[in-house]
Amino acid sequence: MFVLLIFLLTIIFAAISILLKKKAWETAAVESFIILVLTAIYGLVDFRAYTGGIVSSSSYPIDRSIGITFSTGVDGLSIALIFLTTVIMFAAIYTAKNEKFDRRFYGLMMFTEVGLYGLLISRNFLFFYVFWEAIIIPVFLLIAIYGDSRKEKASLKFFVYTQIGSVFLLLSILTLFSYYGSSHGNVFTLNMSNLLNPAFITKDITDKVPFWTDFALFGFFFAFLVKMPSFPLHSWLPDAYTSAPYPVTIVLSGAISLMGGYGFFAVLMPIAPVIGVSTAWFIIGLGIFSLIYFALTAMFQPNTKKMMAYASAASMGFISISFGDGILAGGAVSYTAFAGGIYQILAHGLIMGLVFASLYLIKQRAGTESNLSVSGLWRDMPYISAFFLAGIMASLGLPGLAGFISEASIVLSSYYAIGALIFMVIFGMIITASYHIWVVQKTLNGPFNENMGKLKDAKGSEILLLSFLFVLILVLGIYPNLFFGPILSFVKGVI
Amino acid sequence: MLNYAWFIFLTPIIFAPISVIAGKKAKALAGVLASLSILISLILSIVVWLNIRGTSTPIYQAYNWFDNINAGIYVDHLAVVMVLMVSFVSLMIHLFALYYMKDDPRKNTYFGETALFTGGMLGLIIASNLLEFFLFWELVGLCSYLLIGFWFFKPNAASAAKKAFIVTRVGDLLFIIGLAVLYSLLTVQGVSSPLSIPYLINNAPKIATEIGAQNLTIIGLLFLGGAAGKSAQFPLHVWIPDAMEGPTTVSALIHAATMVTAGVYLIARVLPLYANATALAPDAVLYIGAFTALFAGTIGIVVNDLKRILAYSTISQIGYMMAALGMVSTFGESVIGYSIYHLVVHAVFKALLFMAAGVILLSLMELRDVKKMGGLWKRMPVTVSLMFIGSITLAALPPTAAFFSKDTIIDVAYNYFIMNGSNAYSILPWIFLVIGALMTSLYTFRMFFLVALGKPRSKLAEEAKDPPKIVLIPLIILALLSLTLGVVQYRFYDFIVPGTTKVVVPMLAEYTPLTVVVIGLLITIALYATTSWQRINLEKNPVYKLLRAKYFLDALFTRVIAERIILPLSSGVSRVENGFSISIEGTGKGAMGFGGILRKIENGVIEYYFVFLIAGVAILMLLLEILGGI
Repeated sequence: MFVLLIFLLTIIFAAISILLKKKAWETAAVESFIILVLTAIYGLVDFRAYTGGIVSSSSYPIDRSIGITFSTGVDGLSIALIFLTTVIMFAAIYTAKNEKFDRRFYGLMMFTEVGLYGLLISRNFLFFYVFWEAIIIPVFLLIAIYGDSRKEKASLKFFVYTQIGSVFLLLSILTLFSYYGSSHGNVFTLNMSNLLNPAFITKDITDKVPFWTDFALFGFFFAFLVKMPSFPLHSWLPDAYTSAPYPVTIVLSGAISLMGGYGFFAVLMPIAPVIGVSTAWFIIGLGIFSLIYFALTAMFQPNTKKMMAYASAASMGFISISFGDGILAGGAVSYTAFAGGIYQILAHGLIMGLVFASLYLIKQRAGTESNLSVSGLWRDMPYISAFFLAGIMASLGLPGLAGFISEASIVLSSYYAIGALIFMVIFGMIITASYHIWVVQKTLNGPFNENMGKLKDAKGSEILLLSFLFVLILVLGIYPNLFFGPILSFVKGVI
Repeated sequence: MLNYAWFIFLTPIIFAPISVIAGKKAKALAGVLASLSILISLILSIVVWLNIRGTSTPIYQAYNWFDNINAGIYVDHLAVVMVLMVSFVSLMIHLFALYYMKDDPRKNTYFGETALFTGGMLGLIIASNLLEFFLFWELVGLCSYLLIGFWFFKPNAASAAKKAFIVTRVGDLLFIIGLAVLYSLLTVQGVSSPLSIPYLINNAPKIATEIGAQNLTIIGLLFLGGAAGKSAQFPLHVWIPDAMEGPTTVSALIHAATMVTAGVYLIARVLPLYANATALAPDAVLYIGAFTALFAGTIGIVVNDLKRILAYSTISQIGYMMAALGMVSTFGESVIGYSIYHLVVHAVFKALLFMAAGVILLSLMELRDVKKMGGLWKRMPVTVSLMFIGSITLAALPPTAAFFSKDTIIDVAYNYFIMNGSNAYSILPWIFLVIGALMTSLYTFRMFFLVALGKPRSKLAEEAKDPPKIVLIPLIILALLSLTLGVVQYRFYDFIVPGTTKVVVPMLAEYTPLTVVVIGLLITIALYATTSWQRINLEKNPVYKLLRAKYFLDALFTRVIAERIILPLSSGVSRVENGFSISIEGTGKGAMGFGGILRKIENGVIEYYFVFLIAGVAILMLLLEILGGI
């Protein structure tokens, strides 16, 4: 119930942000902070003794004949990602302080948060889909209106890609929906827990017309892989990330990127038994290929923002790998794999938030994000450099920081599933380490590039935000059970 | 309740940020705080040592970290010796750094990082779980990276830091594959905490039967890969000579005394796994160690950079420690004593040598070429005398500690050959280690004579002079230890592995190492104590060229693997990616009237948004209604 109230509050806040003419930034920052705090309180209260399953569920019937209910609820997976969303939205809005954005900007940002919040608490496929769609539009507008010179192409690509994904998502949902109705004496439902039932799918779809099971799985995978993104459905990502203004890049890399992974673990993991071994191998293959392909591409980018965009895509490969591992391994090893994948979504979001937030400050001061012309930043900007370094280290999976927990779980569990192929994963991780360290060497170290003039270090308020993100990453790296515990309970409850 | 032993590593880690922040205002405070935290660690280590000295029960306390991974502390005799050594040597180097770094504007950062490093190193030693061990393993790697690049504005330092990070990362990831194999296989067996160190070392035979000795061998080889990266063993040793670009105190602390021995400690820690694997795993440790001892020594004799000579000697000496561990299948766990004893002795005298080198370099304005030094014994008598003590210890002349620690390893290698006589190859380690001893003697005395004797060969060397005596106190303490640690040899062995017997070899074998060291000394006296070396021109000699090029291994890594394989691959892939992106845009050309539409809707963004949303939902409901009606 409480979580539903927070969600309603985000809608009210979004409306306020659009209507209020003055102090747009202050309003949005306070709003997103309130939501963050309320969510944190809710999580601490309701998830202290979480043992799996859905909690705080509520349900409001809308159309009984076709089984539409506005049912909501939170589990160990969605609480982690709701927390991530609220943190990232707050961080993104907070960093937009110095830019002259109008109130529409903050309104759209708040609507993105509404969409994500709604998606993560929906337990009914109709609302799942509606929120899935509802997120695309404000993000699309944010890129299309506030992006740089390539904004039209970038926003169009984003829109077209994700829309095609959504169509497949809808078709899959409709497949499950209609088969459920016809095999249950015309009692229709869109409840996710009913439709995502492996026994139902095996008995009522696979045994009758196997094609439709494959069709539904294909649609889900397609939609989620586009959003993730995974090779070869990623073409929207580099353009969208680089063309968008930094606050939007933070949202894209931190929060929007969770959608694909959320789809994997909320929709596909419950029906893991109907996903074949060959599909699992295919997903692992895509994951490993994405990891290496994006890492190699990132290595060659002269623009740090684009490099980190590819780095973000590369680390999404781990999610695919973990998902496939989980299906192949079975037993205790698969718990580790699935939980590691979910933790990776959370860790990746926070880390990318820190990376892009600190890169934003570098861009504001040095005037460029090219890693060929920026050098020796330690001299003038020790604080910003330290936070950027921290983000980079977190991004390459340094132990003690959040990314390590997920990468370790995934790598540890993957030997059992994929055997010697683990060397390919490690190869990807070596490439990742190389270009991460290389960009630090180019931009932070070395002699100072005097052409940049005298640069100012971060102000107190900026340091506060970066510290906030860094401390979260550190806490999640040292005390992972804060989220790993609920996530593991959730995974054990579903499988 | 946390056991007090936790604070051995927590104290410096907690003090690290404090000294950075407090040192911003009061520069002198940073070093004092960092040293104080390490003093606390040392005192706690001594307390732990006194407590567990008489018992064989280790201190063990662990909590759930995440999933089925526990984390905590595990302090047994092996670990307590290591924490004593690390906290003591680190304290000495910190005290010396108070002088060495006194003029650096960023010394608060320096002391914060070295304190964090020391905490990480202590945590690594007493970690109770291999994944926790790996956490600290990477933490010290991070500190090493930051400290090598501490003078970030020097391009050499920046690229050396990068190289160190990437090369050790290769090893680290091999290590984590080893962990993955171990974890997966044990979790499937239903082990509740598969990476817990006490579980692994107490149940090694059982694990070997459960998961198979071959799998243990794979794990052992992968761990060896990690150890080789960290401990700079062939072929992953290439980063250490470059790492000398950092401050000399960093080289002393991290790249001589403590962090580089972490790989040896890793293998010693999980040695029961090697003992129960097939012969390949311990043999790999033995042969790689023995080969590295020889290999690095040969490069050491042609290097002219004072710090790099010491760096190659470090690589070579660690080879001895590795080789000792590799003989576990013949001598059982007593090899841990042989190895760790040399590790401790090495830490003491190598820290001494590096700090003496630091004093010299400070006086010579970072001029590191030994061929430009000379005559320093007259100008800096105290420092160079301390260096002399370090040098004879490194060369293992009696009665220094290394004479006992290193010769024992060589003797054990001889016995290894005797006991495995059916296998002709088993004499190789002994031969490698003996020739390695000759090399050690050659490069050590070459270095020392070039530095100390003759006439100054540069203006800077002429004006060199001793620093205030008080700053040399840490060096003097270490020098005294270098001379006297040999006394405790067998008590040390017995403390680590109770019941270690005396190593006995035939007379001829017993005097072989000392003989080759004296031969080396005589050769260097003939060449370098006089000026005769200046008349020899080796530039055309192919062997000399090969050694100067470091056997082309560095070139293989940077010129071939990095520049000829990885970079072209990367550029190729990103070209594919660009082409891919452009072709996608090409197919979407039809929608290019889109820009105009976009500008129109910009005006009423929010309104359109709602219209879209509501229309979408309405269509969806309609669709569902139709489907539901079928």
